[in-house]
Amino acid sequence: MAVRGRHLALWGLFMAGGLLLPLLVDTGIIGRGTLRTIIMANFLAIFAMSWDVLSGRTGYISFGHPFLIGIGAYTTAILTRRFDVAVEYSIPIAVLVTMIGGAVLFIPALRIRGSYFALVTLAFMELVYQLVQVIRPDLTGGTRGMSGIVTLTKGAVQGYYLSFTLMALLGFFLWLLMKTRLGTALSAIGMNEDSVAGSGLNTTRLKLVAFMLGAFAAGLGGAFYVHYLGSIAPRALFDINFVFTIIVAALIGGAATITGPIFGAFFLTFLLEYLRPVLPGAERYLIYGGIALLVYMYQPGGLHKILEVGLERLRKRANP
Amino acid sequence: MPDIKGGYNMNITRAFLSAAVAVALGSGAHAEVKVGFIGSLSSDTGLSTLRGAEMAIEELNAAGGVLGGQKITLVTADTGEDVTEGIKAYEYLAETEEVDFVISGSIDDVSLGWLPRMQEYRIPTLDTWTSYIGIIDMVVEDPEGMAPYFMNIASDEALATLYINFGADVLKAKMGFESVVILAEDTAFGGAITGLVTDALAPVAGIAVNDIITYDINTVDFAPIFAKAKASGADFIYLVSSVNSQVVSSQYVKLQVPMVMTGINVAALGIEYWEDTGGAGGGISTLSPVPSVGFPLDPVSADFVERYQGKYSTRPKVPHFNGFNAYHGLKQAMAAAEEAGGFDDASAWSRAMLGQDMILEKDGKLWLRYGFWQHGEVEPVTGRTYPQNARFDLEPPFDTAQPSMVVIQWQEDGSVGVVYPPEYANMEFTVPSWVR
Repeated sequence: MAVRGRHLALWGLFMAGGLLLPLLVDTGIIGRGTLRTIIMANFLAIFAMSWDVLSGRTGYISFGHPFLIGIGAYTTAILTRRFDVAVEYSIPIAVLVTMIGGAVLFIPALRIRGSYFALVTLAFMELVYQLVQVIRPDLTGGTRGMSGIVTLTKGAVQGYYLSFTLMALLGFFLWLLMKTRLGTALSAIGMNEDSVAGSGLNTTRLKLVAFMLGAFAAGLGGAFYVHYLGSIAPRALFDINFVFTIIVAALIGGAATITGPIFGAFFLTFLLEYLRPVLPGAERYLIYGGIALLVYMYQPGGLHKILEVGLERLRKRANP
Repeated sequence: MPDIKGGYNMNITRAFLSAAVAVALGSGAHAEVKVGFIGSLSSDTGLSTLRGAEMAIEELNAAGGVLGGQKITLVTADTGEDVTEGIKAYEYLAETEEVDFVISGSIDDVSLGWLPRMQEYRIPTLDTWTSYIGIIDMVVEDPEGMAPYFMNIASDEALATLYINFGADVLKAKMGFESVVILAEDTAFGGAITGLVTDALAPVAGIAVNDIITYDINTVDFAPIFAKAKASGADFIYLVSSVNSQVVSSQYVKLQVPMVMTGINVAALGIEYWEDTGGAGGGISTLSPVPSVGFPLDPVSADFVERYQGKYSTRPKVPHFNGFNAYHGLKQAMAAAEEAGGFDDASAWSRAMLGQDMILEKDGKLWLRYGFWQHGEVEPVTGRTYPQNARFDLEPPFDTAQPSMVVIQWQEDGSVGVVYPPEYANMEFTVPSWVR
């Protein structure tokens, strides 16, 4: 698929708008609380995009994505907290280690697919959750996790700039990559892997690239996420609800689109935060689940598709 | 004409000024002090803090408000006892709700998660449940950064120190126990208490620690763990459980584990414990911050409970200790704000909060004290300082403050009472029937 100038202009507009947004805080149009909400949305968008590259494209649905995010987060947390390694080294190391984790996750994909693959990835997540408790809890903090991890930013504005820049650049990079023949081939694998293999392409190598890319994004996101929060807790990270939030963000936004998971992550995060004053307890998750279900039933292509169809109708109305 | 015009302009100006003053006065009358609750909205401990705060706020508002007649409003942020959700919740209170004061019913790990945010925003914050000594250590190391933080429950080191006396006086001297196996949950609280008990129980009480078994808080089958405890050859089990404690308790009773189990069992601090364990909770004893279930109450606290029960029909039917802490602590926080001219200057508020002191008597004796240890003030038994921590007493006759803890025990008939220290006891410590 060709990269059109219109798309590049939209990305440019998105980035410029995002970078200018904190200026509205000073004018009082938006609050710092909104920036905090966007920070969380940015991180969820990174996780959802990384899942989208790995699973949304290839059709190899992973229920164990926190396995990769956790490797990135734990590696940098342990290096900085326990061994006083500087963040500028610990984060690249964390990303590399996560990519090795991605290669490990890839091994079952050589033999199995569909629901069996999904279950194996779920087992990966559970495995690492148990390992964190058993193997060197003095390093990992056991089930209680770690606190006092160095934070990279102070205040909502700094945190916003860091997370937004990371999310936007990563999103643009992945979007560009998916516009190449690689992206087309990965989408084709998701549609019919045997046909792609029959056309002479090496599907194993293509899938490995997808897994490595997904792991790269997950590791990067996980590492920065832990240095934003300043703490890590395995019960929150290796949690089935966290997996579902990532998957729902990708699906509700529009899988295999890169921009869709960004929409989905923002939609979900803002929905949950705006429900908080009305439903401060766990009830808001029921509403969130119901809305996600309705959107997905109405348009399986997600918000991305709804927006696309809407814009197309407007265009037709303007130029009948 | 000029006069008329001038008068007209004058009237306009007057009217404008009057309106401005009215608006200003009006806004003053509608100004509010915003309190944020952070904690779990689905746990008895979280709800205890929330309700204690609600009742204090109602009383203060009924009495005309605070800080020149401002009404207090309360907003809540659920943590779900999850560290990440706790951080988000604190951010929400600070930046979306822009609260003036935070009252917390968070568990230790969750408080540790949001503490860096508290330091960043410098919002006066009172923790009513967390007792982690590591946080008080942070106050010692960084008094300025931690100035807005107060903990009005005795820290776990103080809890454990007095418990050692129970070990020496009752478990060792009266029961003749020589050794213990520690069964501790894997949380910050579990780790802290285990360390304290290990370091002090053997040398002070003369009880050897045979083994330490750490378990995950989501454990559902304790049979292998109890088997391991039994295999340690210890005389009794010291349990450290703050989460899902009813599970380990009921399995202890149902499996008829042939060893006494005492220690810290948070579920057993609530009146619903008997119902939650299906009546399988007898024989369990636990250290408890005061006041707790089974603890005789002073008239002020008894009145609070009576009004609480008239107001709330759902569980917890009797507030946990942190409900009392929230009720009294919130009033003290507001009194400190009056003295400091509000909450904006966190350091000034902190100094005023340190001066808060309330003594509740029962039968002419000091029964409970809501005050704080000062910076540099050394506690004589432990020989260390506890700045901004609730004031407690570790030595009989407990005439400077209440004991840091009491030991309560559930009997097999469902009754509950205090068994230690003798000055606060209303029943005898007994061994479960299947152990005798």
